Amino acid sequence: MTPAISFQGVTKVYRRRLAGQEVPALTQVSFEVGAGEVCAFLGPNGAGKTTSISLLMGFHYPDWGDIRVLGFAPGDVRAKQQIGFVPENFAFYKHLNAEKLLQFHLVLAGLGRSASPGLVRDLISKVRLTGYEKLKIGKYSRGMVQRLGIAQALLNDPQLLLLDEPTSGLDPSGRIEVRTLIHDLKSAGKTIFLSSHILSDVEQICDRAIIINRGRLVRSGSLQELLVAGDQVEIVADQLPAELEPILAAWAASFQRLPGDVRITVNSVHKRELVEKLWAAGCDILSLKTVRGSLEDLYMQLVGNGNSA
Amino acid sequence: MKIWAIALNTLGTFLRNRLLIVFAVVFVCTLLLFMTPLLGMKALTQAGQAQQAQLMVLNLVSGIMFFVSGTGSLLAAWCAADSVSSELKSGTILAVMARPVKRWEFLLGKYLGVILLMSFYVVMMYGLSWLLAWVGGAQLHSTTWVLFAYPLVRYAIYAAIALALVTLIHPIASMGLVLILAVVALIVEPGGKVMHNHVQYLKVPLWILLPSTSLLSEERFLTITHAALKQATWLEHLTTLAYGLDYALVFLLLAIWSFRYRSLTHD
Repeated sequence: MTPAISFQGVTKVYRRRLAGQEVPALTQVSFEVGAGEVCAFLGPNGAGKTTSISLLMGFHYPDWGDIRVLGFAPGDVRAKQQIGFVPENFAFYKHLNAEKLLQFHLVLAGLGRSASPGLVRDLISKVRLTGYEKLKIGKYSRGMVQRLGIAQALLNDPQLLLLDEPTSGLDPSGRIEVRTLIHDLKSAGKTIFLSSHILSDVEQICDRAIIINRGRLVRSGSLQELLVAGDQVEIVADQLPAELEPILAAWAASFQRLPGDVRITVNSVHKRELVEKLWAAGCDILSLKTVRGSLEDLYMQLVGNGNSA
Repeated sequence: MKIWAIALNTLGTFLRNRLLIVFAVVFVCTLLLFMTPLLGMKALTQAGQAQQAQLMVLNLVSGIMFFVSGTGSLLAAWCAADSVSSELKSGTILAVMARPVKRWEFLLGKYLGVILLMSFYVVMMYGLSWLLAWVGGAQLHSTTWVLFAYPLVRYAIYAAIALALVTLIHPIASMGLVLILAVVALIVEPGGKVMHNHVQYLKVPLWILLPSTSLLSEERFLTITHAALKQATWLEHLTTLAYGLDYALVFLLLAIWSFRYRSLTHD
């Protein structure tokens, strides 16, 4: 099956000809996003996220490597017919109102006449701009512009959505709405490639994550794979005999006594031995599971303050 | 359809451009100032000095129209340069180019938007030339279509040159270059200022290469007096306009080629 997005060894260098400066934005970046996936694209400011999305849209050309979007070269109109795009810091023609802007985009999408008459109205209502459709965009708040950006991205019922910071500028309820919208789109089988700094949102809505830092790919995979700490397990027992405490300390394990049970977090290499010792001591094992880390922990571990690769 | 939508949107942007509105106001005020001497000349005509007054009107109207027409060339160039650079600067181009729009379609739409604006300008210029002649007590004699077609082709050339330049360099540098081209074209035209001998041999090639204002000047076919209306054959009109359109087309194609490879954001 053709991946929705394919980056193969992509390198992009920004050149300042007069100053003779070269700023590498992406270096040998390779990844794929399958059809129907919701994939987060993470990294600190200046990591190369917007550059990657611009390359995907055909706004820039890579210096090296191959990019395919829905099987086509970036910028190919056949691909763009199936893409909905929300750029970072969306800019619209300020003299237009929401209705006229969406109608303009309908024409650009080649749907001027074939679109259903209520489409524009429905989209405006979907992004909660009803009542503001006649107001000039120049008078919109940042959040309203962002919502309009999302409306225009959905205009052509796209197969692939490229969202560059879609929730920036939105209030908490706006963020929740966008999250719900992405859930709905995911259920409808759309592919979503989402760049965001709001890791809690990403954790809730994405299947996969790609993390880049200073133009290089540092980690990619399903959230399940990425967030499983791998070397830590949590064992819940009904009690913890005092004689086992020094052993736990020697294994650098931690435990927490709660009313009715004890939660022990231990390196997985000691998992079997600890369970056997607990059983031997007459304890009941209530549960045993792999500890799942948070995306924030993983992000900070991989990227830190953005200066470490 | 897409190209036309971009063109209309470009025109809409121009009509709300504050700089253009200020330009239009200053322009109208300047012209109103010119009306005063023309009214004086009309009074001279009525006082029995008709021949002398008509000559003065001719000279003044000719001077005003040269200024108006020349300003139109620069306005066309500025609008063309601004139409692309302002989209790049503000980022509005990204939403447009995210649609199934080819780069040449976008550029052609922008170009047509400029041509639409300049069509309004030409209509205004036509009305103005009639008004000035009427105020001065003289009559305008020319074929109407000539007064529309010639300046429009000239503006098409300047817009195409500016469009080609702005895809490569900064808009202010583009405008500077267009201004230099226009001035040099004016200097090298036949009957223009006498040059030093060592640059004389450059005159003809430059006149051929640069956008010629003398060939495409509607003034060749415009006269205020009854006696000196210049006649031109259809072949002459056709050749001259074809030359102008060809010149514009070459620069438009250069602009499209250059825009094909440029980044759509400020790197």
